[in-house]
Amino acid sequence: MNRLKFIALKELYHILRDPRSLLIVFLMPVMMTFLYGYAINLDVEDVVIAVVDQDRTDESRELVDRFYNSAYFSRPENETSLTDPEALLRSTEAAAVLLIKPGFGRAVERGDKFYLSLMVDGSDNALSAAVQSYANQVLLQFLKDRLPAGYILPGIQLSLQVKYNPDLKSSHFFVPGLVAIILIMISALLTSITIAREKETGTMEQLLTAPVKTHDILLGKLIPYIVIAFLDGTLILVFAKLVFGVPFIGSHLLLLLFGFIYVTTSLSIGILISAAVNTQQLAMMFALTLTMLPSVMLSGFIFPIKNMPFVLQALSHIVPARYFLTIIRGIMLKGAGLGVFIGQGAMLVLLMVIFLFIAVKSFNRGTA
Amino acid sequence: MNNTAVEINNLTKRFGNFTAVDGISLTVNRGEIFGFLGANGAGKTTAIRMLCGLLLPSAGSGRVAGLDIIRQFEAIKKNIGYMSQKYALYGDLTGLQNLNFYGSAYGLDKSYIAGRIEELSERLSLGDFLNRPSSSLPTGWCQRLALSVALLHRPQILFLDEPTGGVDPVFRRKFWNILYTLADEGVTIFVTTHYMDEAEYCGRISIMHRGKIVDRGKPFELIARHNADNLESMFIDLIKRQELTDEPA
Amino acid sequence: MFRAYLGLIKKEFIQVFRDSNMLRMIFAMPIVQLILFGYVVNIDVKNITLDVYDYDRGRESRELFDAFKAGDYFVPEDILTDRDAPPLWLIEDRFKKREAEMALVVPEDFSAKLARKESVTVGLVTDGTDANSARIGSGYAAMITRTFSQDRIDYTPPVEIRSRILYNPEAESVYYMVPGIVATILTMLTVMLTSMAIVREREMGTLEQLLVTPISTTTLLMGKISTFALLGIFEMILTLILGVLWFDIPFVGSPPLLFALALLYLLTTLGMGMFFSTVSSTQQQAMFFAWFFFIFAMLTSGFFTPISNMPRWMQYVTYLNPMRFFMSITRGIMMKGSGVADLAGDIYILAVYGLAIFGFSFLRFKKRTA
Repeated sequence: MNRLKFIALKELYHILRDPRSLLIVFLMPVMMTFLYGYAINLDVEDVVIAVVDQDRTDESRELVDRFYNSAYFSRPENETSLTDPEALLRSTEAAAVLLIKPGFGRAVERGDKFYLSLMVDGSDNALSAAVQSYANQVLLQFLKDRLPAGYILPGIQLSLQVKYNPDLKSSHFFVPGLVAIILIMISALLTSITIAREKETGTMEQLLTAPVKTHDILLGKLIPYIVIAFLDGTLILVFAKLVFGVPFIGSHLLLLLFGFIYVTTSLSIGILISAAVNTQQLAMMFALTLTMLPSVMLSGFIFPIKNMPFVLQALSHIVPARYFLTIIRGIMLKGAGLGVFIGQGAMLVLLMVIFLFIAVKSFNRGTA
Repeated sequence: MNNTAVEINNLTKRFGNFTAVDGISLTVNRGEIFGFLGANGAGKTTAIRMLCGLLLPSAGSGRVAGLDIIRQFEAIKKNIGYMSQKYALYGDLTGLQNLNFYGSAYGLDKSYIAGRIEELSERLSLGDFLNRPSSSLPTGWCQRLALSVALLHRPQILFLDEPTGGVDPVFRRKFWNILYTLADEGVTIFVTTHYMDEAEYCGRISIMHRGKIVDRGKPFELIARHNADNLESMFIDLIKRQELTDEPA
Repeated sequence: MFRAYLGLIKKEFIQVFRDSNMLRMIFAMPIVQLILFGYVVNIDVKNITLDVYDYDRGRESRELFDAFKAGDYFVPEDILTDRDAPPLWLIEDRFKKREAEMALVVPEDFSAKLARKESVTVGLVTDGTDANSARIGSGYAAMITRTFSQDRIDYTPPVEIRSRILYNPEAESVYYMVPGIVATILTMLTVMLTSMAIVREREMGTLEQLLVTPISTTTLLMGKISTFALLGIFEMILTLILGVLWFDIPFVGSPPLLFALALLYLLTTLGMGMFFSTVSSTQQQAMFFAWFFFIFAMLTSGFFTPISNMPRWMQYVTYLNPMRFFMSITRGIMMKGSGVADLAGDIYILAVYGLAIFGFSFLRFKKRTA
């Protein structure tokens, strides 16, 4: 136990002394939280739409005002080039152009059939679908408000109720997810680099020839990183609360429990990588590509797993972040309890055992 | 055309508060083998790097191949060859590729390079080693390859910074034989070392300690002057005495 | 010093081809990125799991169920198999287990009211965790119920919007990811290689040997940079070919214009690489800087999500990112066939960035090595 403590302290000393690892440990989580929290945003707002009003009636002017007064749309910066709508889209000055032909006002008054034409820049998928649906909403509301007061349209009225995230903020979805990404990145990156460094400088051999068991060394090296991972996780959660206003409904203790399992699984990936490579450089490249890429792309962090082709969906099952994402989102946003996550937790433990098994196998082979 | 290859006056290099080279002066003649003997950190490498135009002196002046080391260091580079203790070869390139590349760096044309490679490969018996990646070569062959890189453009003066580190005595002997023939052909050789036997091969040596030249002369003269048995005991004695006089300051 | 310049380029290429890791990276990078980004980046909201609590059990409610079932927006499931089945509190439980994303509650008098052509309220409960799916899903639901009731009561709004989607009417996400991948790969490869190259020579000790040759710093730098520019362009061609052949992406605009502007953009990336090499003393540090820069550049370029979605201040931050402008150029040329006039603003800013960054780093580099 004494040895363990000694190795752990030595490791902690290494981390605290190296400005580069301090940078990774504390600056990176903050930077990533801000970047992902603000830059990755699926809430389509303020889409630049150019409206060409050829009707010039009170009705058309009101409709134009409604477009620009809604949160969805905003005006193009210069309205000089409205003559060539396509050029506006090509130069990305506007994402859509709405054309109100003469006769709109009269049609609205008489209830005649009339079509507005909307030209949408389809080169950004995330925008094009939303623009069409928003434009329809603005128009329908405009038409509804012109019906006589107290008149209720027959047919189905939808009464909408949104649970857990009533303001529908993307950041409530992404920021808890970031904990999953950053925890695995830090744990896997730092452990694989530190073990590779010991290999590079030859100190690993020194340690191995000492009368210490391999798992003592590993455990001793890992404990400081578990502590750091938890510090980082807490840091992001504090940011989530203070900066992004993400609620935390569920049990902190439960999150801590699953966080521990997840971090251990992540560390086992780090050990696996360091067993396979001998240089810090390679360790870093492997750690980044094997944790960062799948955790961001294949976990459901941004992109829904069910949209992926079958092979990638299957692959996503060995991405630990996939399970932790469900857990952390469930606990924080929905207040879900232990019973809900038994399956996810079991998968994390299973992955950890598999990774560790392979790692220890190759470690013994490599150093024997 | 005078007979002086290297001439320096009061050459000094300071890094912040630390004076690496402290006002050294010396003259080396054409075709001479001149040695800088000193312990690690005595300032030998810093001095040689200033002569090669890799470092700008903090004070003092000097001429290499008749050119000013402060104003004409670009022109000096064409006239000198340099070989450092690290054998700066590209490990992933073969010997031939290394030679071709450095040849082009000197602006030599293809047929000239090819001719020189043939000449040098015969002279240094490089043979088959030219076609192997240089990282796979034993140290002795790396050293020869590095020497041939330094000689490719027929320099007047050759600067060697601890050229034989990690090489066995047999190889070292052969290496020096090559240097002697070069000197006979009129190439000036300026070498730094901390090996005593190597220093004995030099025509003249300067002993450096803490950035200063503490004594100089032909090896046997130095031994005689200090009443020593050999160069090694002379060197140790000299450094000891130097440290005693340095201490109060 | 043209001979030395060519010699350098030749040497760099030999080194690249000797290095199996490097070769693997050069060829694997576009393939991995194309597969990952091409297949994964897809925020289309489809197949939403929808629990239907049908308390009406009438003809109309079944038809509403079928209306939700048609198309690929929803996968509805009839939750109330018999009248005494678990009540509404089940909704949240199913949300927590992620067995359902939305729930539709149809009241008992649904069919009756519709038959009398009255207004009837149907409840739609949404799991808002995934804000995007929730928003788009409720939009779909509104659309379906609207059409459903319009069919029953013969009412259509007098004014409708006819929209025409230009450039990518089927909303294939690969079409807009591939131009983005072209920009990210070009950035990553050239910044990374340039930042590490000089440091590598210094670490190996060959830089000193180079500096005693009459080769000038400018030639040395140009030789290296030209190699990486060539590799970058090669990588770009590889990505484009794979994109066109494998993913069938259209290439509407002018390829020569794209390559010309890529060269302009390279000024920036090579400049950044040089800058990182002047502030790092080991290859690892250089790689770190390059990586940090890359993450920032990728996230603020509009690669994944539109820049207009970001908060206003963040949108200003994106102006600091040169890749943002190149991304809009690649998408413009490849998808919309934009020409020089359309892209004038982006080109102008890119030129300013390129000259400033390249010039600054170049001078800094010369000063540091002299």
